[in-house]
Amino acid sequence: MKILAYTMAALLLSLSANSYAASAFAGKYKAAAVCSQCHGIRATSSEAPFPPLAGRDELYLEKALKQYRNKTRRSDVMNNIAAGLSDRDINNIAEYYSRLKP
Amino acid sequence: MTIKTTINKSLLAATIPLLLSSGSVLAKSGSHDMHKLYEENCASCHGSDHGGYLAPALNSETLKGRSPTALRSLIMTGSFETLMPPFFGRLSDTEIRGLVKHLQSTPKLANPAWNIKEMKKSLKIYVRDESKLPAKPDFKIDSMDDVIGVAARGKYGRGQGSEAVFINSKAHKVIGKVATDTAAHIIEFNPANERWAYVKTDTAEVYKVDLYTMQAVRSIKTGLNGPAIGISRDGKYLMVGSFVPHNAVILDADTLEPLKQFELEGIDPDGKMVSSDSGMIIGTPYADIFAIALENAGQVWIIDLKDGFPVTKIKNVGRHLHDAFLSHKGKKLMVASYDDSIVIAIDLETRKIIKKLPAGCVPHVGGGSVVKVDGRTLGFGTNFGTCDDNTVVSVWDLDTMELVKQVPVSGGTESPAAHANAPYVAVDIITKDRRARTIQLIDKKSLEVVKTLDVGGHAYFPEYSADGKYLYVSAGYTGDEVVVYDSKTLKKVASIQMESPAGIFSRGRVKYMTRGLSPDEME
Ligand code: HEC
Repeated sequence: MKILAYTMAALLLSLSANSYAASAFAGKYKAAAVCSQCHGIRATSSEAPFPPLAGRDELYLEKALKQYRNKTRRSDVMNNIAAGLSDRDINNIAEYYSRLKP
Repeated sequence: MTIKTTINKSLLAATIPLLLSSGSVLAKSGSHDMHKLYEENCASCHGSDHGGYLAPALNSETLKGRSPTALRSLIMTGSFETLMPPFFGRLSDTEIRGLVKHLQSTPKLANPAWNIKEMKKSLKIYVRDESKLPAKPDFKIDSMDDVIGVAARGKYGRGQGSEAVFINSKAHKVIGKVATDTAAHIIEFNPANERWAYVKTDTAEVYKVDLYTMQAVRSIKTGLNGPAIGISRDGKYLMVGSFVPHNAVILDADTLEPLKQFELEGIDPDGKMVSSDSGMIIGTPYADIFAIALENAGQVWIIDLKDGFPVTKIKNVGRHLHDAFLSHKGKKLMVASYDDSIVIAIDLETRKIIKKLPAGCVPHVGGGSVVKVDGRTLGFGTNFGTCDDNTVVSVWDLDTMELVKQVPVSGGTESPAAHANAPYVAVDIITKDRRARTIQLIDKKSLEVVKTLDVGGHAYFPEYSADGKYLYVSAGYTGDEVVVYDSKTLKKVASIQMESPAGIFSRGRVKYMTRGLSPDEME
């Protein structure tokens, strides 16, 4: 179990190392590298069972991610993903997705 | 695009294990037949015989010793930076566990039977009377050569997102979409009649498409997996080839009726008799023939389009052949050989090898490119591999058959695009990190990379519009858009949304044969 958690953390860490400034660009890169795998960028796949993120309210996205991180909102997948996100990551990603036109 | 052997490791390396407790996953029924589940969700990419196709082989041998938990996680989350989608929520935890067990205990299957009889039975007719179709396009377009077709894979390689999307490449607007059961892979245009196109899917269905009304009129399932399809210069015959099973078939391009089947086997360059996947199949404006590459047998066969479809076999071409392109009015064929890193020039008139030319690491020439500069005919070949971090695009003089230059590029590449009216040869960088977002542009004259475009997604399959004014690129995987650039200024001019776009095919290709040549040279 520890090994799995470590691998996940390592992935997110390596991504953080690249996001130098708090910017939508950093959010864009993380979204492209991780979140889009399930949520897509502008739209989720018509066949995928994941909620869309583009154009959603920024504060809502931030709150949801923080709840996943502190596990007040339960989802095995999202709890693990959010666990590796810093406040700054969350701000960047929420800002990026909220500004995208779906 | 078809890489059975080269990508095995990267998929595995990209595994993102998650801690998943079994209780909370959607509770679908666990009683599914696992083989059926495999066929319905996995086989279009991993091969119906569990032997690998676009994606790695999944069988008891290749998955030996792998942790079932890690495999489960990988199936749930998908594999980042590859086409492997997340099956979380689409398959239940019980189903995923069952699949992992099934894969780890199933050996690669024997070549399954799919013969003319099965093909004939699979023929579907959607439009009974084609003579009643309108005589002109339903839409406004200057020339049908301005049509560009994109193979939109859809995230799961099937279902709603999977379609062939046709675009007016001057207006950058979608004209129509033709849904396919599984992901479209290749789009071929009929050179003799502009209204017909043919779409081949990952699972070897061929759709005959009426471009005037943007609908499929017929389809036939020619095998279980395999991308190869070619059309004869008179537009009368199609030849298609499969990875599973190891055969190829000639179809009547009008009715899609199968006419003759070929078993793909032969003695490879090392003297072994092998059964072989079908590599590229190509028709040529030079003659009434098809050329087909037998991947594993290392042979190129020339089939004459006359009574009985006789075959001339050219042996010892190379180890693991894949794709090819034409030059010199279609008389010379340049074939890529993965395993010995060469490109082989074949004379289709004498049906002999002209010369074996050095390429880069694992040459994958895509559709190739041929450009005329300063009196020379230069061929451009992309190279898939990244041996010793030495990644190049190979340039040959196709008159003298000499290597001109190995142009350094930032990663592995799989498809070059060129146009007589555009200054750059575009190549797609596919190395699996941030570089995969980019394409690079090589100046035709200086043969140097002069610009890198950050397209997004997994950027691949560049293609110029028929007039050469625009460069189309797929931002594939999760990029979900086709991005259009001005071919001279390289400014982005449009974006067209679709799910997981891959190959882009301009109808202009039927005029210039190989991208980069001018239609005048074909006269
Ligand atoms: C492996 C698939 C996967 C990946 C990768 C993923 N998510 Fe999710 N996400 C989900 C699932 C499943 C849900 C629904 C969970 C639930 O039931 O609450 C979800 C829900 C969410 C929600 C809540 C949406 C709503 O409508 O309430 C947000 C916000 C979110 N994800 C953000 C992200 C971000 C940001 C990333 C990238 C850092 C990301 N996700 C990566 C699968 C994924």
